[in-house]
Order: sequence, then structure tokens, then C-alpha cells
Amino acid sequence: MTVVRLREVTREHGQVRALRGVSLEVSAGELVAVMGPSGSGKSTLLNLAGGLDRPTSGNVEIEGRDLAGVPDLAALRRRSVGYVFQDLNLIPSLTAAENVMLPRELDGVRSRQARTEAMTALAEAGAEEIAGRFPEELSGGQRQRVAIARALAGERRLLLADEPTGALDTATGDEILRLLRSRCDDAGAAVLLVTHEPRYAAWADRVVYLRDGLIAESGSVRLESAR
Amino acid sequence: MSIRHGILALLRGGPRYGYQLRVEFEASTAATWPLNIGQVYTTLSRLERDGLVTPAGADEQGRALYAITETGRVELERWFATPVAQSDRPRDELAIKIAMAVAGADVDVGAVIHTQRTATMRTLQALTRAKRAADGLAQRLVLDGLIFKAEAEQRWLDHCEAVSKASKEKNT
Repeated sequence: MTVVRLREVTREHGQVRALRGVSLEVSAGELVAVMGPSGSGKSTLLNLAGGLDRPTSGNVEIEGRDLAGVPDLAALRRRSVGYVFQDLNLIPSLTAAENVMLPRELDGVRSRQARTEAMTALAEAGAEEIAGRFPEELSGGQRQRVAIARALAGERRLLLADEPTGALDTATGDEILRLLRSRCDDAGAAVLLVTHEPRYAAWADRVVYLRDGLIAESGSVRLESAR
Repeated sequence: MSIRHGILALLRGGPRYGYQLRVEFEASTAATWPLNIGQVYTTLSRLERDGLVTPAGADEQGRALYAITETGRVELERWFATPVAQSDRPRDELAIKIAMAVAGADVDVGAVIHTQRTATMRTLQALTRAKRAADGLAQRLVLDGLIFKAEAEQRWLDHCEAVSKASKEKNT
């Protein structure tokens, strides 16, 4: 099942063509990595895939819905899409559990239900014991675990990760990739990962290279017999 | 050389027979460098000739055991204390290929780099898959070593692409 599909997507910022016709699909249970030099359009691609931005032409579908026909993108994002960034992930005045609950509560889920979901998501991310702690009491790796739990709490199946290992040492970065991988393999999440580090891209089922707003041909490295 | 010292290191844990050395060597290096049993016995007889190992009787099933000698222990310590020289590596075919592609006027450097990058990423994916399946610490660290090397090559290729592109743009 395709969770997100981009078809011939372009995005222009004034005179600058950030994306020049990109088609890409990510299925449930699949981890796709996007690599490319700075300015190649990686972040633009991620923003379009998650409905944070709209394409100049072409279309984007999330779980079969064309985003062009969705009036309230914010609501769709809260229900279907989770984000993990390098930092600026968690709200400092809320505990780990409250951070995970927040987007669900904003979406009208009752507090008790949101807490149950949050505890499940934290347990799946290996962060159950730190549920009551505040972000400043957590290590970088623990913070990313909480961010991943928040991104996947509830029914959300699409996770967009922009350099989630950016500030971490390689052993902790590997743990985060192991966690993302298990969310794909065990929970059927679809993950689109932007990274400039080959060692993390290598955890993906497919690696695509962006060059000047285009996917480099023959650059799609598919892992044979991935599943 | 690494097989010699690998065998000495295993024997430091107690006397062992030939087949056992082969299995343990492969297990601790994640089967990255497969050994055949002939290599093990050839290496053992050279180590014995040099006084680094000595026959140590047989186990209850009659298999010939070998033990490390005091000279062997000294040699092993020397090996662990000596860094591996960068120049011990063979000529780098990839560096030569990229240099020739850049020097040749009619070669698409970007395409050469991209072909290599795709192949290196496949290697990196296979190593990562092996690492996910590995359960011993020694195996994981050997695979990590190979992953860091493949990653360094990948970074160098990105660098080659960026630099050669910039220099081409400057010249046109």
C-alpha cells in the first residue's frame, strides 16, 4: 500500500526551481532515504511530501488523498504525518509523555486516551522509563526516541525525518536508525529520511539521490530481497 | 600478518585445535575474511617453526592441540602495540580511475562517480544488513570498520563530484 506518492512535482521559489519534476512513492513498511548535496532540494521534497508546502505543479497524495483537494492541511498533517528533525523537536516545559500526547489532544482526542496512546508509542520506541522526564533531563538519543514516539502516536503511518541523527554520535545514530527500521518492519510505518550521511542512508530499502532538483537516473539503489 | 596474529590471539585464550581456530577466527571477524583449513595448518606449522606456538598434546577425541609460547605472547603484544601503516594497502584502483576520468577530456566524470556511488551504497546496505543480523560484539565492530571505510569512499566521491563540477563551471 502506497502511503505517500509524489507525481511530477515541481516547486519554484521565485526564479529558483527547487524541484524540477520529481516522482517518488513510499509504501507501508518501507524506509526510503533521500541524499544529495546542499541545495539539491531535499528539504523542499520533504516539506511537500508532508503537506507543509504545496507544489507549483504536479501532485502529492497521502494515503490516497490528493493534497490539492484538502482545504485543511494542518488537520491532515496532525492525523497522518509525523515529523522528526535534528533538533527543536520537543517542548521544554512538557514531559516526554505530554509531548507525545500534545498533537493527539490538539486533534480532539480525550486526555486519558491520548495518554494511553502516548505510553504505547513510548514503549514501542524504547522510551517507557523516561515518560515523566522533561526534555532537558534527556540525552540527545532519548530526545529523538521521544520525537519518534510522538511522530507515530495514534494512527499516523507516515514519518518524515530530516537529518534526525544530525547532532548524535554514530553509535546513538545507529540506535535511532534501528528504531526507525523496526517501526517500518514491525508497525508498517512508511519513513522518508533525509540524510547526508551514507552510513544512515544504508539502513533504507531504497536510496534516491537528488541532483539540482531532479532524482539522478539509475541512482535508485534498491536493496535486493529486502523483505 | 593478520592470520598469524589472529591465531596467536585466539591461542592466548588456551590451547586449541586447527578446525576450532578456523571457526573462531571467522566468527570473530564476521566471516569477512574466510579461512580455509589448509591456511590454518600452514600458518600453525610456520608459527611452530618460529617458536611462537608449540604442540600441546591431543584432546579426548585425538585432535592435535596447539598452545602459545612465551615468545608468541611477546610477539602478540608487539603486534597489538604497533599501528597499521596506511602505505601497507594495495594501489587504489578507484582513485586511479577517477584521476584518469578527470584528466581525460571526453569522459563524463559525473557518470563515473555516480556508477561508483551506486555500487558503494549497495555494499553499504549489505554490510548494514549483516550488522543488524550479527549478535557478537567483535563481529559488529568488524562490520562497523567496513561500514566506516565504505562511507569514507562515498564522502570522497561526493567531494570529487562537487569539486570537479565547480572547476568545470569556472572554466566555461
